[in-house]
Amino acid sequence: MAHNKILLVDDDPDLVHVLTLVLESHGYEVVAALEAKQGLEVADGERPDLIVLDVMMPEGTEGFHFVWNLRNRPDAYFQQVPIIMLTAIHQRTPLRFYPDSGDGTYQAGEYLPVQGFVDKPVEPAALVAEIERVLTSIRRS
Amino acid sequence: MRQKPIVLPGTEELIERIGWFIRLRWVAVAGILVFVELGRIILPIQFYRRPIYGILGVLILYNVVASLLLPLVRRGYRESPADKAQGVAPGYAGPVARFLLPRVPAGFTYDREAGRAALFANAQIMVDLVILAALLHFTGGVENPLRVFFVFHVIIASILLSRRATYVHATLGLLLFAALALGELLGVLPHFSLQGHWRAGGYLEPHLVATQLFLLGVTLYITAYMGTAIAVHLRKREVEVVMLSKQIEEKAEHLQVAYEEVSAAERAKSQYMRKVAHELRGPLGTIKTALGVALDSASGTMADRSLELVQRAERRAGELATMTQELLSLSRARGGRASVEITAVDPAAIVRKVVGDVQGSADQAGVTLAVSIGEGLNEIMGDPEGLAELVTNLVGNGIRYTPQGGTVTLGVYDAGGTLVINVTDTGIGIPEEDLPRIYDEFFRSKVAREFAADGSGLGMAIVKAVVEQHGGSISVRSALGQGTTVRVELPRGQGSQTATA
Repeated sequence: MAHNKILLVDDDPDLVHVLTLVLESHGYEVVAALEAKQGLEVADGERPDLIVLDVMMPEGTEGFHFVWNLRNRPDAYFQQVPIIMLTAIHQRTPLRFYPDSGDGTYQAGEYLPVQGFVDKPVEPAALVAEIERVLTSIRRS
Repeated sequence: MRQKPIVLPGTEELIERIGWFIRLRWVAVAGILVFVELGRIILPIQFYRRPIYGILGVLILYNVVASLLLPLVRRGYRESPADKAQGVAPGYAGPVARFLLPRVPAGFTYDREAGRAALFANAQIMVDLVILAALLHFTGGVENPLRVFFVFHVIIASILLSRRATYVHATLGLLLFAALALGELLGVLPHFSLQGHWRAGGYLEPHLVATQLFLLGVTLYITAYMGTAIAVHLRKREVEVVMLSKQIEEKAEHLQVAYEEVSAAERAKSQYMRKVAHELRGPLGTIKTALGVALDSASGTMADRSLELVQRAERRAGELATMTQELLSLSRARGGRASVEITAVDPAAIVRKVVGDVQGSADQAGVTLAVSIGEGLNEIMGDPEGLAELVTNLVGNGIRYTPQGGTVTLGVYDAGGTLVINVTDTGIGIPEEDLPRIYDEFFRSKVAREFAADGSGLGMAIVKAVVEQHGGSISVRSALGQGTTVRVELPRGQGSQTATA
């Protein structure tokens, strides 16, 4: 799993710095963006294997919009690249964020096309574990 | 600046009293009939029955007309364009009506039809005076002791009309009687003596007639004076009552304004709190994460004392992060239903989720978590995030304040139209004197602080805010050292109307 490239999108430069240290110490290659538009550009250029995304960013470029913009790009890569969101939102709403494990169906509007969540404040170990879980499941499928 | 005058309900009162007046007139009709017929038999007196019954017929007809006209006083009022332009009530503004209506203090006025009602009452009193005079004329004139009946008219005038109008009526009655008496004395009018056993003949004696006139005059004017004095007093009271109710109305308006101001301030405060908490949350999270990373990566290289400091800093940053999160939850719940999205919520799903989240801390604390979820729970209309926080806080409190080996029991079930959430623990309990304060922000009882160092004191405030947001109720029973039971009841709400379609 070494040399996997991870894109961090978060408007907090300190958090980006800390998480970069953590992920690099676990053998990942890290690229970062401090806002959504830049994030899309970096994703386009760097083609990371996974994107870690803050859910709420200022200036209306919320993480949600980022996800939908990304997923709506014609390039197949953008529809497949796994995304992990930094938020506790999945604990607080009845929305389902993963497709049902069975037949993969889900109801429109109740689904956010991301593969994982990590609560804020971010526990480094939890983030690393989630990244590994997502990457493993992608590799398996 | 001219203040808008306060309107007195003059018309309503006049109409009511004229109605009473008309009923009295029916009593008078019956009284005359009985008097004439009984007088013939018992006394016995010989009446000139034809003119008397003629007058009686007129009286009946006239009273029927009056009772038919009465409801029209209120209805059918047409505001003339000129009146409209001036904004005055023309009925009241007319000089005659102004003369007839009782005076009111400055700043008051009568409603618009009051003038017409007064004119109506005035006309009736005048007709009544004439009818009484006519009746007296045919029943012995000055010799008839019923001449004092003029008093009744004066009393009624004093109740209905102004003081001046009352004196006018007293004078009118006296003049009518004087005309009758003098007319008969001087032979201008024929005299109809009551014959039979009634002693008659006084109508030709000037000093007797003068005495009668004098006595009647005195009686009528004294009555006018007394009647109007009482009426004026009563009216003053009436005005006071109207003024008081007006004042109360104004006070209520002030209170409403003050309430709205306080509410707006409360909302502003809540928004401010929310903004501050929101701004604090990000940096705090980063600090906590950074400290965590520092701990992980530097544990081998850092001196123990420094390590301990970083550990402390990390723990405290975590507490702060939790508290800001709770402040956010609190302001969110306090924002009312408008600040959240109300959807159909499956309580069982929320409870299972929360139990899954807190099971770890229960195990860690050595506390048994017993959960019973009612079969086939109905959905309720609510805020899923708030409801999850409510259950989390209640169960979390139970676990936190229950010593090792204890039990926290969570029961969720339907009861009628409400969802009941019942959390019972075998914990340290809440001192009775602290019970009223448990919903205060940042309040933690001494027992709680001694038992568990951490805790923001916001949990129950959040619970209460969520309960109120959902229109529910909460009750807490506790025995120190034995445990606490919190019972929350939430109305199911109108699902079909607000469902997220």
